[in-house]
Amino acid sequence: MRPDRDLIDRVNDLRRLKQRSSFLFFFVFVLIAVGLLKIVELSVLDSQEYFTESEKNRIINVPIYPARGLIKLSNGEIVAENIVTHDLLIKKSLLDQSSAEIKDLQRALSEPGHEIKSNFSTTTNGSDKLILITRLSSKQLATYQINKEQWPSIELKTRIRRFLPHKNVFSHVIGHLGEVTKEDERRNRGVKYQPGSYLGKVGLEKRYESEMRGKRGVSVIEVDVFGNEIREIERTLPERSLNLFLSLNLKLQILAREELSGRKGAIIAIDPNTGFIKALVSSPDYNPNILNKTESGFPYPKERSKDAPLFNRAISGSYPPASTIKPFLGLLGLEERAIDANTIINDEGVFQINGEGRKYRGWKEDGHGEVNLHKAIVESSDIYFYELATKLTIDKISEFLNLFNFGKKTGIDLINESSSVLPNRKWKLGNIGETWFVGDTVNMGIGQGYIAVTPLQLAASISAIATKGKIFKPKLVQRLGNQIIEPELLFSIKLNKNENWQAIEKSMISVINSWNGTAHNLYKEGGLKIAGKTGTAQIRSLVDQELTVREEYKGIREIERNRDHALFVSYGPLPNPNLTVVVIVENGESGSSVAAPIALRLMEQYQKEILADV
Amino acid sequence: MSRRAPFDYEINNPLINNSNLFSRLFKDLPLFISICVVLVFGLFMLYSASGQSIGMLLRQSIYIILGLFFMLLVAQLRPESYKNLLMNSYWLGLLLLVYVLINPADGYATNRWIDLWVFNFQPSEIIRLLLPLSLVAYLCRRESRPKMFDWFITTIAAFICSYLVYKQPDLGTGLIVFVSGLIPIFLAGLPYRIILGYLVGLAIVSPYVWSNLLLEYQRQRVLTLFNPEADPLGTGWNINQSQTAIGSGGLTGKGYLSGTQSQLDFIPESHSDFIFSVIAEELGLLGILAMFFIYGFIIWRVFRISYQSETNFERITCSSLGFIFILFILINVLMVIGIIPVVGVPLPLISQGGTSIVVHLLAFGVILSMKKISR
Repeated sequence: MRPDRDLIDRVNDLRRLKQRSSFLFFFVFVLIAVGLLKIVELSVLDSQEYFTESEKNRIINVPIYPARGLIKLSNGEIVAENIVTHDLLIKKSLLDQSSAEIKDLQRALSEPGHEIKSNFSTTTNGSDKLILITRLSSKQLATYQINKEQWPSIELKTRIRRFLPHKNVFSHVIGHLGEVTKEDERRNRGVKYQPGSYLGKVGLEKRYESEMRGKRGVSVIEVDVFGNEIREIERTLPERSLNLFLSLNLKLQILAREELSGRKGAIIAIDPNTGFIKALVSSPDYNPNILNKTESGFPYPKERSKDAPLFNRAISGSYPPASTIKPFLGLLGLEERAIDANTIINDEGVFQINGEGRKYRGWKEDGHGEVNLHKAIVESSDIYFYELATKLTIDKISEFLNLFNFGKKTGIDLINESSSVLPNRKWKLGNIGETWFVGDTVNMGIGQGYIAVTPLQLAASISAIATKGKIFKPKLVQRLGNQIIEPELLFSIKLNKNENWQAIEKSMISVINSWNGTAHNLYKEGGLKIAGKTGTAQIRSLVDQELTVREEYKGIREIERNRDHALFVSYGPLPNPNLTVVVIVENGESGSSVAAPIALRLMEQYQKEILADV
Repeated sequence: MSRRAPFDYEINNPLINNSNLFSRLFKDLPLFISICVVLVFGLFMLYSASGQSIGMLLRQSIYIILGLFFMLLVAQLRPESYKNLLMNSYWLGLLLLVYVLINPADGYATNRWIDLWVFNFQPSEIIRLLLPLSLVAYLCRRESRPKMFDWFITTIAAFICSYLVYKQPDLGTGLIVFVSGLIPIFLAGLPYRIILGYLVGLAIVSPYVWSNLLLEYQRQRVLTLFNPEADPLGTGWNINQSQTAIGSGGLTGKGYLSGTQSQLDFIPESHSDFIFSVIAEELGLLGILAMFFIYGFIIWRVFRISYQSETNFERITCSSLGFIFILFILINVLMVIGIIPVVGVPLPLISQGGTSIVVHLLAFGVILSMKKISR
């Protein structure tokens, strides 16, 4: 039965094969089911998520930054511009393994006078890159570009930086930029800064940061896996940044800076009729380009660091107004009818409240003799104003000076302006913890004691005398983009008797013109007609009742730091004044011989400039 | 249409009897056509996946034509005529594997390639076909059922081949070669008690293999599988990108030549092992299902041939080759969608790769040769 066996075998074999195949097919179907479920999960259930993921893969947003707005003078002279600089960087992680490469680079790029440091600084806080060489010269750049294949781990970074062609001249006006910090980000909520980007830290750069920065645009780019650009999908152009046009006068600014060079102090020249500032200098100053990383070195001579070169004395420095307060008190006396032009006081060099107690001495030991208001201003009699202040009382004085913007910020378009101090009873109780003494009022009569002003406040107040009562807000920016900035009247002072303005002005003119005026040294036959007032602010009180002023002062003089500040306030030329100049020279000792000549030279320069303009 | 009686000379002339010629040449026309459909589809997808490279397309086309030619050539042979040859071809495969280990071709990190002047090929691709065929031929060399000795000797033969591939080193392909060897042994009727013995043995040996025989990167691959998001730029990056491509394709895909993941090179090896991601991204779930449908049709025809054939040798050979074909598709797809670790297995008939295409077509040639033609 051989054939039957064959047939049975064959049928059995086929059955076994099918059985075993089914067994394998079971596994196959399980795996197919698992696979299909996974595919459905990917391409149906989570499809949207994966689509977003794939878009994120291929699309990157590259910010387009608008160039920072320029700062120019009204005549078009550039004060702050943007320049392109090139740095060579290396990733921190590559530093160790590529030291030979760095050495080779340094050898190839080293230039005489352009030393390459071996300790490297980070580009930004938390960045993973180090700066090897900053601000390549054009020759270094060319050398690098030609040979860059030799230094594969080193990368070139091009960035736009801020440059002030006049360096220190405008330092306290323009200010400088700095890298964005955590604090900046906290303050400017809503504005997104890229880490490592620069923004204005002080001065106009900070005040007009948002206007000059503009708004960044974005370029939407499709890239492949290597980050190569395939095409640009979309582009949003950056919003234009605005240029600033300043009211400053270049030559006046340069002259003012030169006059203060080597000294500490501040100069402000302002147009009393508009409030636009023509010169604003604080000395010592610094080179903003170094902080902007467009020049190397130290921003100011190291030995001057104790004099706070970064501090803007013109708007933040507080000084006793000293005798420059006298015209205001005289004005108040006339207004209040506490005195008239003929009221005479006998100045014997000493004042005592109700003729007893502490002796308040005048600067002139023997006194000025019989003085009326005119003579008191011209010769700067202290005794007259001790008497007048006592008569007026602190309440009246404080109220009146408040009108002239003492003790208040002027609102200049800069940051860090100080409001300084205009004391009254309440202020003293709150800040010193004592009640107001008559002695304090006496001191107030010669602008000493608690009262303090910024040079800018003084300039605004004196301008009010020049304009017969109008105080304009001091401004630096005359035009913002295409928008013309108009003068802004802060306050208008109405006097009961308008002649009182003339009376005070006449006395202030005589300060220079009259033979006995404290600033008669400025007088020139046929020169400019200027109204002014000197001031000498004491830093140390003269306490010894028995010594004369001169004797006691001799000891003080020996330390420069303790010498008096020299002040001069002025406006001119009369009858139509176009410039108010305030000069404060710290430890300059004499308002008339140190501060006043500076003011005159500025005044003369400005008149020349105006003629040249017309 | 009027039917006339054939002339006498026409009856036995294969050149004139069209239907006879066709069935002789192609043996199973639906199978042949469906294979061609997959090949053409593959060429289109390769064009997209290769960044629209005509050069790669031409190269692949040459291999396809070569493969089709050998396929049809083998299809004409009678299985009995090459059965003995197949049994001994095992030694040829072994020789190639040893040769590639001793004499690696220049320019490759692993010893997988043999340099044949015009083109290179991977012996491990060839052993995937030779091993199961030789094992079936050996097991079916007698009329009677295989003896106990035969089961062991075939298992050892499969193990030796896979061990040599693993030594290249290529763990994935080694395992696949081993499974390709086990499938025919299992289908030929490996007794269940032996299977049980093997499993117990495996359970004892596997901890030793994990800690001593596997290389660090191989262990890493297995581990990455369980948490591919753990290192997006390391070993899991490929899978993440592949899944992103598949997922972002959605139901209908982004359109032919419009897949961003594929065209911008985010998919690694998009023309070879990961071509499935390209198909999924550009043609979507529907395109994938259509592709699976044709694959399914091919498999159905293969098992139809298997069950219709008359000898044990033919049946087991066809079924084994059918299962190996399924195995390859499954491993590739499961790898690309991130269910199993990344192993270098191309998608059959579609992925770029000359050896793979020719070997798969040769396997179909063997299957076609076993088609019973009813006269």
